[in-house]
Amino acid sequence: MEPIVIALPRGRILREVMDVVRRAGVEPEPAFDDPASRRLRFDTNLPRVSIVRVRSFDVATFVAFGGAQLGVAGNDVLTEFQYPEVYAPLDMGVGKCRLVVAEPAELGAHDDPSRWSHVRVATKYPSIARRHFAARGVQAECIHLHGAMELAPALGLCRRIVDLVSTGATLRANGLVEIEHIADVTSRLAVNRAALKTRSREIGEWIQRFREASHAD
Amino acid sequence: MNESPPRSLLPSGLRDALPPEAGAEARAVGRLLEVFHANAYERVDPPLVEFERSLLDGPGEAVSPQTFRLMDPVSQRMMGLRTDITPQVARIAATRLAQAPRPLRLSYAGHVLRVRGSQLRPERQFVQVGAELVGAPAPGADVEAVVLAAEALGAVGINDVSVDLSLPTLVPAICREIGLAEDEARRARVALDRKDPAALSGLGEETRTLLTALLEAAGPATDAIGRLKVLPFLDRTRRMCDELQQTVERVAAAAPGLNLTVDPVEFRGMEYQTGVSFTVFTPRVHSEIGRGGRYELDTGESATGFTLFMDALARALPAPEPERLVYVPFGAPSEASTRLRADGWRTLQGLSAVDDDMAEARRLRCGHVLRDDAPVEVS
Repeated sequence: MEPIVIALPRGRILREVMDVVRRAGVEPEPAFDDPASRRLRFDTNLPRVSIVRVRSFDVATFVAFGGAQLGVAGNDVLTEFQYPEVYAPLDMGVGKCRLVVAEPAELGAHDDPSRWSHVRVATKYPSIARRHFAARGVQAECIHLHGAMELAPALGLCRRIVDLVSTGATLRANGLVEIEHIADVTSRLAVNRAALKTRSREIGEWIQRFREASHAD
Repeated sequence: MNESPPRSLLPSGLRDALPPEAGAEARAVGRLLEVFHANAYERVDPPLVEFERSLLDGPGEAVSPQTFRLMDPVSQRMMGLRTDITPQVARIAATRLAQAPRPLRLSYAGHVLRVRGSQLRPERQFVQVGAELVGAPAPGADVEAVVLAAEALGAVGINDVSVDLSLPTLVPAICREIGLAEDEARRARVALDRKDPAALSGLGEETRTLLTALLEAAGPATDAIGRLKVLPFLDRTRRMCDELQQTVERVAAAAPGLNLTVDPVEFRGMEYQTGVSFTVFTPRVHSEIGRGGRYELDTGESATGFTLFMDALARALPAPEPERLVYVPFGAPSEASTRLRADGWRTLQGLSAVDDDMAEARRLRCGHVLRDDAPVEVS
C-alpha cells in the first residue's frame, strides 16, 4: 500500500486539531510534542502513515500538489488559494473564528463605504479581500503581510485590515473595531483530489475515521 | 543597469523538450494514435489558429479568457490560438463532415496554448491527443470512449488507470427541480465543487440533506451506485442517475480490470458537457491525465469523446527500454547498417576514421559497436 502523509498546521490550533487526530487513532512519535525538535516529518503508530507539520497556508499547497494526501486547514486558507485539486469534505468543528474587516474606532464615525471606489487593506488574504470588495464594485489594494496586521493602521500603512478574529481581544488592544463580517472559519479536513479518485476506498475510510473523531465530543 | 535576459530564457510556462523525453513523448503520441486508428477512428488535423468567433462559439466559450488572440493582417479579423482541440473537431463534424456517415469517429493530436498556467500546472503549451465519437447514442458510445481511453493508455504502458465517472448535468437539474433561487444554486455549486458540506449551511434542510447525501455517494463505482439508488430523486433526475448506472455497469463489464469510481457532483471544467463525463487518473502522477464526456454540436447532434493531456501523461510513462544503439565505424559497408536497422537497431554512422572505435562509441553513448558484421557490446 502507498504511504499516507497528513499535513497539519503549526501554531494556534494544532492542539485542538491533535485531539481529533488522536481520536482518529493516529499517534505521532514522541518527537512531535518535543518543542526542541527541529524535525518536520514524524512517523506515527501506524505503518506508512506520517505527519508533516507546516505553516497553515502551506497545508493547502502540500495537499494540492499531492505531497500530502490529507491535511487540516481552515476554510480561510482554502478559500484564499481555491486550489482545484483540494477537496474539503469534512468540517472538523475546531479552530472556530471569523474573517472580518476592521478599522480604527475613530474612522468608523465619519466613513461612508458606499462612496468608495477603492480601499487599501493590510491582510494575509489578498485574494479573498479582492474578491470580497470586488463583489460590491470596490477595488481592493492589498498590502500583503504575514502577521501583526493590527499594526498596519497605527503605523500608517493603511487604514483598514482584513484578518482573522476569534475573541476580538487583539483588535481591541490595538484600537480597532470590526466593521464587516466576511466569513465564519473552521478547520476542514483537506483531501487531495487525485488521491481521493485513485485510492477511493482507502481515502474514503480516512474521511470516515476523521468524521467519527470530529463528532465524538 | 538594464541587462537583457540570456537567450536561453523562455517565457514562463514554455519549455524546450529535449532528448530523451521529447522522443518518448512523440512515440507515446504515435502509439495512442495507432490504437485509435485500429479502432476505426480517422485522423483530422485542424489549424493552430482560426477566427476567434468560430473557435469560441458554443463549447469554446468557457475558455475565452485563456485564449491568445492575434489580428489577422489579411482579413483584418481577430483570430484565436486554440486552447482545446475538441471544439475544432466538433466544428469539422458539424460542417465539412456533416454528410459523412454516422457514427463518425475522429482522432487528433496537436499542441494547444493557453494564456495562463497555474501553480499546479504551469505549462502554457502542451499536446492533446484525443478521439471523438459523433452522432452515436448513449450509453453505448460513452462506454466505447471510456474503454478506448483505457486501451490506449494500456498500450503506452499505463496499466493502472483509474476512471472517475460523473454527470455534470445532475446538480443543475436537481437545483431546478427543487426550485433553488439563482444565488442559492450558485452557493450550492461552489460547495459541491469543493466537496464541502459545511458550506451548504443556509440552504433549506431538505436541500442540504439531499446534497450532502449526494456528496457522500461518491466513491468506488459499485458502492456509489448503491448509495445513489436509494436517494429521493424526482423523475427527471432519477432517469439521469439510471443512465449513469447503465454506463457504469457496461464499462465495468467491458473493462473488468479498470479501477472505476463515480462522483455524481463533479462538474468542474465540464461546463459544456451534456451527459455522462469522465476524468482519467493514474496513481503515478498527482493530477488528471485526461478527461472526456458527452456534448452537443451546434447542430444539436450529440457526441462524446475524450482528450489526453501529454504534459501530465508523459510523467506517468514507464521508463523507456534501454536503447539498442550501435556505432558503425567509418568505412563499414552500408549494407551492414541497413541490415542492422531492419533488425530494429539504431545505427550511428561514424563520419571519419578514428583510432579507437570502442572509445568513440563510448563517447557517443552507444551501447554497441559494429565489428566484423556484428554488434559487439561496448566494454
